[in-house]
Amino acid sequence: MYQFDMRRIKEYSFLGVISLLSFFMIFPLFHIIFTVFVDGIGTLVSTGPVFITGTLDDGGIGPAILGTLILSFFASLIGIPIAFAVGVYAYEYPYSVIGKATTALLEITQEFPTILVGLFVTQILVLPMGTYSAIAGAFALAIILMPYVAVYTKEAMSQIPFSFREAAFSLGVTKVKTVFLIIAPIAKRGILTGLLISVAKVAGETAPLLFTAGGLYQTYPDSLTQPVGAIPLLIYTLVQSPSPADHAMAWGASLVLLLIFLAAFIPLRLSIKEVRM
Amino acid sequence: MSTLKKFGRFDRFDFLTYPAVLFVFLLFTWMLAVYVTSSIPAFQREGWNVYFTNVWNASECPDKEYYGILAAIWGSLYTSTIALLVALPLSISYSIFVVDYAPKRLKGILEITSDIMAGLPTIIYGIWGAFFLVPFLKEWVMMPVYNYLSFIPIFSQKPVSGFSFFSAGVLLGIMITPFVSAVVREAYTTIPHTYREAAYSLGLTRYEATKILIGYVKPAMISGTILGFGRAIGETVAVSLVVGNAFNLSADPFSPGYTISSLIATQYGNSFIYTHMTSVLYAAGLFLFLVGLFITLLGMYVLRRWKKNVSI
Amino acid sequence: MSESEYAIEVENLNIYYGNNHVIKSINLKIPQKTVFAIMGPSGCGKSTMLRSFNRLLDLNKNVRVNGSVHLFGRDIYTGDMDSVEVRREVGMVFQYPNPFPHLSIYNNIALGLKMNKLVKSDKELDERIEWALKKAGLWEEVKHRLNDYPSGLSGGQRQRLVIARVIAMKPKVIMMDEPTANIDPVGSKKIEDLIFELKKDYTIVLVTHNPAQAARVSDYVAFIYLGELVEAGETGKIFTAPESKLTEKYLTGKLV
Ligand SMILES: Nc1ncnc2c1ncn2[C@@H]1O[C@H](COP(=O)(O)OP(=O)(O)O)[C@@H](O)[C@H]1O
Ligand SMILES: [Mg+2]
Repeated sequence: MYQFDMRRIKEYSFLGVISLLSFFMIFPLFHIIFTVFVDGIGTLVSTGPVFITGTLDDGGIGPAILGTLILSFFASLIGIPIAFAVGVYAYEYPYSVIGKATTALLEITQEFPTILVGLFVTQILVLPMGTYSAIAGAFALAIILMPYVAVYTKEAMSQIPFSFREAAFSLGVTKVKTVFLIIAPIAKRGILTGLLISVAKVAGETAPLLFTAGGLYQTYPDSLTQPVGAIPLLIYTLVQSPSPADHAMAWGASLVLLLIFLAAFIPLRLSIKEVRM
Repeated sequence: MSTLKKFGRFDRFDFLTYPAVLFVFLLFTWMLAVYVTSSIPAFQREGWNVYFTNVWNASECPDKEYYGILAAIWGSLYTSTIALLVALPLSISYSIFVVDYAPKRLKGILEITSDIMAGLPTIIYGIWGAFFLVPFLKEWVMMPVYNYLSFIPIFSQKPVSGFSFFSAGVLLGIMITPFVSAVVREAYTTIPHTYREAAYSLGLTRYEATKILIGYVKPAMISGTILGFGRAIGETVAVSLVVGNAFNLSADPFSPGYTISSLIATQYGNSFIYTHMTSVLYAAGLFLFLVGLFITLLGMYVLRRWKKNVSI
Repeated sequence: MSESEYAIEVENLNIYYGNNHVIKSINLKIPQKTVFAIMGPSGCGKSTMLRSFNRLLDLNKNVRVNGSVHLFGRDIYTGDMDSVEVRREVGMVFQYPNPFPHLSIYNNIALGLKMNKLVKSDKELDERIEWALKKAGLWEEVKHRLNDYPSGLSGGQRQRLVIARVIAMKPKVIMMDEPTANIDPVGSKKIEDLIFELKKDYTIVLVTHNPAQAARVSDYVAFIYLGELVEAGETGKIFTAPESKLTEKYLTGKLV
């Protein structure tokens, strides 16, 4: 009897401990969201729409928002076509030597410290061009984007039943056409979702932009070869400032970034079973 | 007559995809090459001292310049270790809870929550860390520890600002928890149902059964730990906002320090004023590059070996 | 090159997945314009053997095919024919009805025709599609919704769409791998009737694990057990007087 009770006590205390720790694991997220809302909403409300549209002098983060859009767009333009082809290759040759090496490289680059990508692009683009630029920032983000897009593409295509492949081949359809006209379109939903999640992720990156995009907050960007700002980069700069007004600005910008991120990420996450980050 | 089928001829498919594959391999090699060549001047000038001394003499006069990043290396290892100490109990409990105990609805919510944590822009962790977490830890952890445990040597100094190895470690721990738990959870889910049934049919309680099942996924947990360490060591902006950014080789967790990535983030911007600093920062980057690569490969190796053994 | 009286001749066929010897020294002759049924318990290698007749096994890794398969007298594994040509002449219907979900009913059939440039004009394409759907007995049911996606079709209709997709290519041989295994009885009956109809023009190789189906629709039958050919011959003879005890056991349901 005594032993049985010991077991029951252990059982309940175990359940108690892991529930508590699980709660501690996710609690910070809710605290972060709460804090960002509470500290950011004041700035947003008191500044009004100008916060979204105005330049830093007007008390707004318009150039940073536009900069993030520009950087994400051109990163996608550069990264997605290459990454898609790589993902398709990795899907097609899961067992060949190069295929396996490609998959391994994709996993490695997903874990790669993003600051190192930034410094690399500084060396190969920023120094030769003599200036920070939107294109350098976009290229850095594209490098980070590629492994995610490739892996999502590969996995979405691998989910498609083998029998569609057999059916296409048995109709005399060639390999290229089977892959690009049958398998990829059937996997379209998974590929697209993965692609958007990847873009949402790089849009929030800071480190790779530090020494590539440069930052531009007083005026709107008008050239790809000139410096450009980004919301995360602006927050990073403002947090380091000693001025409380800048901190208020940083919270406001964080709230904007958080809202954009949640609005993009949650619907995407709900339409897909598993994400990799 | 016999025929042996050959596969993998170079065809139109390869023409379309191969250049992209080649490009990503070249890009990676190129990156490594840039780090190696850019750090050569530092090695020529200082040798291995770049990594094994703790000095930072930035001077307008090139002859007086001398740099050693040992403190940053120490800080990276220290903060990442603290991060793991925070992340492991949380992510393992979370994985067990989500897979074995949570009701279906809660399970879905928990999974989405951890995915959001994984994807959340790191700068948001950074601002929260700098403005909330650091003061919070200082008041509720560092000061009490100093007040009651200052007889222990590493706690003997009064915490000053709160920006410290400890704050960085805790913040990193929160940030890597979703990654570690993703690896553990995936492994834990793959345990065949028959094992669970077998455990329960022996009359084990859930706690006892879980203990046995956890043994089964131990290698995956090790792999998750290794990969989590890799993530922590590479994280930049959030850390650089809370670690205090000081050259400090101390074991005192409440003192400010540097990590390799925060050193690069804070110093690279003005390194061009000096003659020799840029190269040293690339040498720091090279160190991070190689250590990160090694850690990732190790983590992948452990995980693959486990998956192979399990799938028999 | 002499046209053989047999659609398919298999000589000393051995197939391995890695070290797993799945098909063991099989010899088989399949006469033209008949229904030739291959039956046996599941896992005995029926699907594997079938896929060796149109080189679909090429898609699998670690698979090794030894021996020869002749299609109307031409060896399909040596230089005589390339794999695309083989697959054009040997159509295939699968166990799970698998029309392409992202293509309309019309385009499902048009795909193979366009890819292999088997039609010269849009008009010919329309005609060929209508013809194939009629042959597959599906035209009346879908003629007003050719641009719909196949997701709206029943299992039996989807399988007949797959059959139409195959017929449209005008192959010489149609292979069916347990085509009714996942279809309701009414749909199955329609497909069996269709097989009966199609054998006037095509050679049909039908894999089934259901002896009653083999008895109903086939002219010849081969019984495979654990990768070996136990016996083959005219359906009537095998079902009334099997030579092998094993066949008898299988047909009376004593072999699982
Ligand atoms: N792609 C494959 N790789 C390895 N083994 C396979 C593969 N497909 C089938 N097999 C094996 O070959 C044997 C025959 O399978 P199959 O031809 O599908 O049998 P059937 O169609 O008669 O049910 C089985 O033992 C099966 O496990
Ligand atoms: Mg089968």
